[in-house]
Amino acid sequence: MSDIIIQAENISKLYRLGAVGTGSLKQDMKLWWQSRVLKKENSFFQTGISATGDAISDGYLWSLKNVSFDIKEGEVWGIIGQNGAGKSTLLKILSRIIRPTEGVVRGRGKISSLLEVGAGFDRELSGKENIVISGYLLGMKKHDIRKKFDEIVEFSGIEQFLDTPVKRYSSGMYVRLAFAVAAHLDPDILIVDEVLAVGDSEFQKKCLGKMKEVSTQKGRTILFVSHNMQAITNLCSKTIWLQKGRIRTSGDTQTVVNNYLSAYQRKLLKQEWESPDTAPGNAVIKMQSVELIPYLSNPLEPIDVRTPLTVRFRFHNYSKQINLTTGLHLFTLSGECIFDVVCSPAIYDEGILEGECSIPGNFLNDGSYYFSIVFLKDTSQTLYYLEECLHFDMEDFRENTNWFGKWPGYVRPQFPFKLKPCKNTVSIT
Amino acid sequence: MAEKHIHWDWEIKTQTSWLGASWKELYSYKDLLLRLIRKDFLASYQQTLLGPFWAILQPIFAVLIYVLVFYKVMHITTLGIPPFLYYLTGITLWNLFSDIFQNTSTTFVVNAYLFSKVYFPRIISPLAVMLLQCVRFLFQMLLLIGVLLYYYLVGKIHLQPTHFFLAIPAVIITAGIGFGTGLIFSILTAKYRDLQNMLQLIIRLLMFVCPIFYSLVLVQPKIKWIVLLNPLSSQFEIFRYSFLGIGEFSSLQIVYSAVFMILLVGGGVLLFNKVGEKLIDVI
Repeated sequence: MSDIIIQAENISKLYRLGAVGTGSLKQDMKLWWQSRVLKKENSFFQTGISATGDAISDGYLWSLKNVSFDIKEGEVWGIIGQNGAGKSTLLKILSRIIRPTEGVVRGRGKISSLLEVGAGFDRELSGKENIVISGYLLGMKKHDIRKKFDEIVEFSGIEQFLDTPVKRYSSGMYVRLAFAVAAHLDPDILIVDEVLAVGDSEFQKKCLGKMKEVSTQKGRTILFVSHNMQAITNLCSKTIWLQKGRIRTSGDTQTVVNNYLSAYQRKLLKQEWESPDTAPGNAVIKMQSVELIPYLSNPLEPIDVRTPLTVRFRFHNYSKQINLTTGLHLFTLSGECIFDVVCSPAIYDEGILEGECSIPGNFLNDGSYYFSIVFLKDTSQTLYYLEECLHFDMEDFRENTNWFGKWPGYVRPQFPFKLKPCKNTVSIT
Repeated sequence: MAEKHIHWDWEIKTQTSWLGASWKELYSYKDLLLRLIRKDFLASYQQTLLGPFWAILQPIFAVLIYVLVFYKVMHITTLGIPPFLYYLTGITLWNLFSDIFQNTSTTFVVNAYLFSKVYFPRIISPLAVMLLQCVRFLFQMLLLIGVLLYYYLVGKIHLQPTHFFLAIPAVIITAGIGFGTGLIFSILTAKYRDLQNMLQLIIRLLMFVCPIFYSLVLVQPKIKWIVLLNPLSSQFEIFRYSFLGIGEFSSLQIVYSAVFMILLVGGGVLLFNKVGEKLIDVI
């Protein structure tokens, strides 16, 4: 099963920016005049990439540029990238909705794509009618639909509303029904765009489970776009990282995802102040450095929930004979305090002091955090408050689970937790 | 490498083929076509009081108004035919044309969202619309036949059943012209939205260039060529002749209309497929 099923060769897609429609007749005429009458090459095709690499030139944008890849039969590929990286454009080209401006895609077998949950639904019609019509739209055959109808209804769980027009459905029911149809397509290649953006987490789990089943049990090829790295790492063996219309890297999912995450992590892991004049502080406390040290086996990997962290900071203590203590505050990005750890108070001489606090791995939940450091006199009077001195993102990591939704809670500790059968008890029957 | 012996089922290139999809592929979407017709039929009568009866009621009301305006007020002769029947015959065929034209001409505007999310041969959409209008036409034919029978039974008209078959080519040519122009306009309205407003104007204008409320016999010879230039004109004359026994047409006009229709449909389909796919980028 190592045959290539999709081969993309240098596909590019050019879009015209700005208000399309207004003055487009004029623009069309101008283009026609230039290309046909003056025999110029289509000038905007050549201008290409601007100096900043933004691929924008003169009101045109390369949404995709020279994208090539080979996908083998039975592989599951993830496509990741920031908004506007060209992910959806790529999927639309593969689904034959739009044509590439340059390049060619070749392939074998039948493609079904799910770019939008519920595309082709008519809000006036009943659920039953919509199952059939969207089934046909997605390329199912009459006997497929007849054969799978009950399965679809069961998967969606809306049995008693089958004859109700879908406009009276709750949005959750609507999405469930729509995905149920798509999940029972049986193509050789399935293309899915960000299905996880909709529906409750319970349903998302069901969808991902279904996709996993399709890929592992039936050996189907899947292309899957998502912002959920957890889902990507769980489902996909290979991943393409698109950046500004180009492939940044592609290959083994774990490597690509790690590179992607560490490139986009919002972080401020170290601050140092050379001269006391510019350093934050006051007459009593003057900062020298503050640093967050993650314990990673590979420095290119992102910080995830397993990573133990150490915060180390240095400051000049100008006061004598005061009872000094420091506190480390951890906040979520939205400003909620997760913890406030203080060291034991003591009296120090004037000079440089270093503080260090270790936070074990498998303690914090995934999310974005920042640290603040407070300096206290007599454990109550604030001498100085260094706000938001360290930023970091904590990525998700899970094993042995089929749950891909957001893990609830502020912390995610791994306390000892066991289940065991009870001995010497009679079960009640 | 091993690329030589790989057999590709499909290829996505920068250019669309004129036909859009192979006949085989089109045929595989026939179930979708039938479903779309059914869907549009059901959807258009969802939450209505009278449902499909509107297909019959609407022309009745329209014709009553025309009788009032053109016959009672303006005294245009209907050549001895009861005016209600005369106008109904013309309106039935006119509705076929204008419904097909109007509903297919908004294909891209109406389906913009669907087209940008799901692939299927785009031509299926206007085809379904046209076929649905043909179904509505059949309802209206039932009405026409009923009215014909009524006037026949009360002795106001004579029927010549052998002439009925002449109506069939007239219907096909009229539907074809509506479909072809609709396809071409569907591209134009998607690209230049302001044309949508023009559409109503064009239809109103066309309505009066077609001999619906008058007969070709009544048109002054000086300006007759304008009416004859319209390939639809002779179709109305033939259609009326087949049921009412009056009408003026020549075989040359029929050939002219038929060729016109074939060119329109052919050109419309090719243009629709070729330009349509590029339109998805801009709508």
